Amino acid sequence: MLRKLTPYLLALPLMAFIAVFTYIPILTSLDLSFREWDFMSPDRPFVGLDNYTQLLNTHEFWNALRVTALFAVISVPIRLLLAIGIASFLVRETAASRLLRGALFLPSVTSTVSIAVVFSWVFATDYGMANALLSLFGLPKITWLQSPTLALWVIIIVNTWKQLGYDIIIYIAGLQAVPTELYDAAAVDGGRRFHVFRRITVPLVMPTTYFLLVVSVIEAFQIFTIVDVMTQGGPAGSTNMLVNMLYRIGFTLFDIGQGSALAVMLFVLLIVLAVIKSRVLGRKVHYEA
Amino acid sequence: MKPDNRLLTILALLAGLLFLSPVLYSIWMSFQTATAYYTGGFEFTLDNYGRAIGQYNFARYLFNSLLVSGLVTLIGITVATMAAFAFARFDFPGGNLMFGAVVATLMIPSHISLIPNYLTLAGVGLLDTYAGLILPAISNGFAAFFLRQYIRGIPRALDEAAYMDGATPLKVLWRVIVPLARPAILSMGLYIFITEWNSYIWPLVAVGDQDLYTLQVGLARLYRINPGEGPIDWPLVMAASTITLLPVIAGFVLVERHLVRGITMGAVK
Amino acid sequence: MTSKLQSTLAISAFALLASATSASAQVTVEFWHSFGGSSGEALAQIIENFEAANPDITIEAEHVGNYEDIVTQLQAAIPAGREPDAVIMEVTRYGLFAERGILTDLTAYLEADPLRDELYDFAREIGVYNGKNYIIPFNSSTPVVYYNKDIFDRAGFAEEPSLETFDDILAAAQQITDELGDEGVFGIAAPGQFARWGLVMSNDSNLIDPQSGEVLLDAPNTIEAYEWMASLVHEHEVASVDNVTDEDTGGDAFLAGRVGINFASTGNYGSAREALGENLVVRPMPCNKVCSVPIGGAGIGILESADQDVKDAAYQFMSFAANPESNAIWFSATGYMPINRSTAEQPLAADALESKPGIDVAINQLDFAQGRPRPPVVTWMRSSEYDLWQAMALGQRTVEDTLTEFAARTRDEADRLAR
Repeated sequence: MLRKLTPYLLALPLMAFIAVFTYIPILTSLDLSFREWDFMSPDRPFVGLDNYTQLLNTHEFWNALRVTALFAVISVPIRLLLAIGIASFLVRETAASRLLRGALFLPSVTSTVSIAVVFSWVFATDYGMANALLSLFGLPKITWLQSPTLALWVIIIVNTWKQLGYDIIIYIAGLQAVPTELYDAAAVDGGRRFHVFRRITVPLVMPTTYFLLVVSVIEAFQIFTIVDVMTQGGPAGSTNMLVNMLYRIGFTLFDIGQGSALAVMLFVLLIVLAVIKSRVLGRKVHYEA
Repeated sequence: MKPDNRLLTILALLAGLLFLSPVLYSIWMSFQTATAYYTGGFEFTLDNYGRAIGQYNFARYLFNSLLVSGLVTLIGITVATMAAFAFARFDFPGGNLMFGAVVATLMIPSHISLIPNYLTLAGVGLLDTYAGLILPAISNGFAAFFLRQYIRGIPRALDEAAYMDGATPLKVLWRVIVPLARPAILSMGLYIFITEWNSYIWPLVAVGDQDLYTLQVGLARLYRINPGEGPIDWPLVMAASTITLLPVIAGFVLVERHLVRGITMGAVK
Repeated sequence: MTSKLQSTLAISAFALLASATSASAQVTVEFWHSFGGSSGEALAQIIENFEAANPDITIEAEHVGNYEDIVTQLQAAIPAGREPDAVIMEVTRYGLFAERGILTDLTAYLEADPLRDELYDFAREIGVYNGKNYIIPFNSSTPVVYYNKDIFDRAGFAEEPSLETFDDILAAAQQITDELGDEGVFGIAAPGQFARWGLVMSNDSNLIDPQSGEVLLDAPNTIEAYEWMASLVHEHEVASVDNVTDEDTGGDAFLAGRVGINFASTGNYGSAREALGENLVVRPMPCNKVCSVPIGGAGIGILESADQDVKDAAYQFMSFAANPESNAIWFSATGYMPINRSTAEQPLAADALESKPGIDVAINQLDFAQGRPRPPVVTWMRSSEYDLWQAMALGQRTVEDTLTEFAARTRDEADRLAR
């Protein structure tokens, strides 16, 4: 009898935590998204789809969706291109490549808040590193984080700087899985480096690219910390991502209904992406061009 | 394999330093006096650290971060290993469904539980407590999944032999599986620790009492509210930032290989 | 003999009883406020005086941030059960908390307090919501125009230019920027939210109608006023974008001598005077279409969740903080207006009026000052306005579109809050 119960008892703690803090919250969010509540009223009246329709009628929502999508669409390809290029140089196990890999990988495991703070200094208008470099060339100061057109690019740069190492490591793992004879054959043929890269490396790591593409897009849609520290969504909403908007509605304006409605919409969007990921990856695991 | 080329190694070192230069410079800056920094000189001081740790409470934040990340790692890895053992070694009704539910959490974005978890913990009076910081972070679907795969790679014959000697399942887990799965447990523990150390949005909403701030929240707040008057005291902020960065960097240098292995294995799943 | 013994016993029993009650009556009031810098020091002084006079009460004061931060923190604290006992609440933002039963009705306290008749009418009014008293005034203000005389001189103003209308102000700011822009000096600081509200009122409009409660965010004169304010930044470039992305920097730059003109609360007088000395000049707000300024500032409220003895102690403190002595300390250190009719007779206050030129500008504006409505939606409206102002000031969205949508959302939100 005890023997039969054993696996359940072993799995129970994990399942309990998952139930309470992951699955039940999805239902709670769904429920709250149909209600009107501000944390203070004793009751939470049911308001149907009001929260959703009101959200869809605001400029802020569409702006946040646009900014987040723009962020994903710009930053993901940049990351992947840089990563595959750098990875193809670092794939061999030499001291030089190990060293550089370590340096590139370090930011991806360090504190995002620290990185955001450090880069707030880099892009500070006065006494910042970027403007100090510009002044070396006699160029005028730029107000990086106060400019609605530049701030998003700064966020993209910082996020790329942080995540690049992770992408590179994954690409290197992918490249190392490629039989080395293929490279050797290409080298013997006198193939030029770029030619080898384009004709052999890129197609061979296609599965890795698919994996990173979807993972990075999902991640991009959840960006919060860098924006919260550096710009808080500003200036003028130009870096206002969906999760930052969610935090603002939920924990600054305390519109729990509308915050939950936004959470549910973002949830559905990300689940769709995740399902696409498992479909695509399921099909493309074989080496094909 | 080609012998290491010294010139290339030096170039790589330089490239690495250049890449990391913002962070390296921020550490350098944290040892300067503010006046020297703003006038372009250099004057060594530990005063920034003194103020960060004393006046601005970073010793407390460091303690909080270590405690919370430590406990989350310890409890998280225990819970995950137990469940992984169950999923890897027992065939039980509902087992596959449960395992599916664990794997599915990898797809579930964490923002959806932000408001509900806040309400749950408020309901039981656990906001503004260490427990409130720790509990929602315990379950780690990826660690459970990863460990389950790893344990399945351990020959069953070893368990059987132990059972023959009259061992209970818990004993088998503790005496046979855990020692053999040590590398995997270690790299997952590291992964959980780093994730928790860097976690920001949950501590941000769960804690209002400054005595319970983690380093991440304390640092963001120090930078944001700029306690002095006039321009930001960058050397002070960078001292706080260095305190936040350093434990992870130190850990990273020590165990880079484990970490990289864990992360790449995750990708090839 | 017996009677002597009896009386001795009675006296010692009484003494014992008294010491027991005073020991058990030791009360701590947790108090959130919004005052840092020199205002924070003045508040600390008042608290110290209070504790000296009331040794059985401890005021545990915490500087939580600005008014907006307090509102946010308080709302987050309520489900968590970590709210303080007393809190500074800005005069337009507390209606929500009164409506939701978070703040204690203080009407009975004030009725029984001689303070009631000592307060100026304008000050007492700020605590009234739906006919009941929820906060006791502490710091009252109107916005004023500050300028830096040194910057005006260097920009070539032989005598003081007129600062009556929006055009006057723009012209002065333009001349400063033209003359001193190369030195990094801006003509004017982009107005903060309190000043924006004031400028809308001087353009003969309002954000919310004080009588009917109607939302006026999309009224033509409101739009016109916002268009003018936004044009200072993105069209005429006489104000720095930095003050738009971070409102506090406008005041900082003015104190640092890098901005010529600053619209701000009279409560900033103390720090401005400290930074600029004799170069600080204070003038009334412009009267673009009409002369009209908002009454701002804050009062102290008590949380309904506090225990009765803590509430009593908190009220005692609030009443003390509004008495003539405390109010004189506060007025002379910060520039917030006297709220107590007897404050001006205090030597400290009389001395400040004498020796600190311009500290009385706000008081003289009271003739055309107006209280503002505080329905629950104002809290939401003010929290939301910051981002929209950024978008308008940086030229990202047109003022008309932004305010039209904002007005509609504010009306929706008001309906929702009323449900």
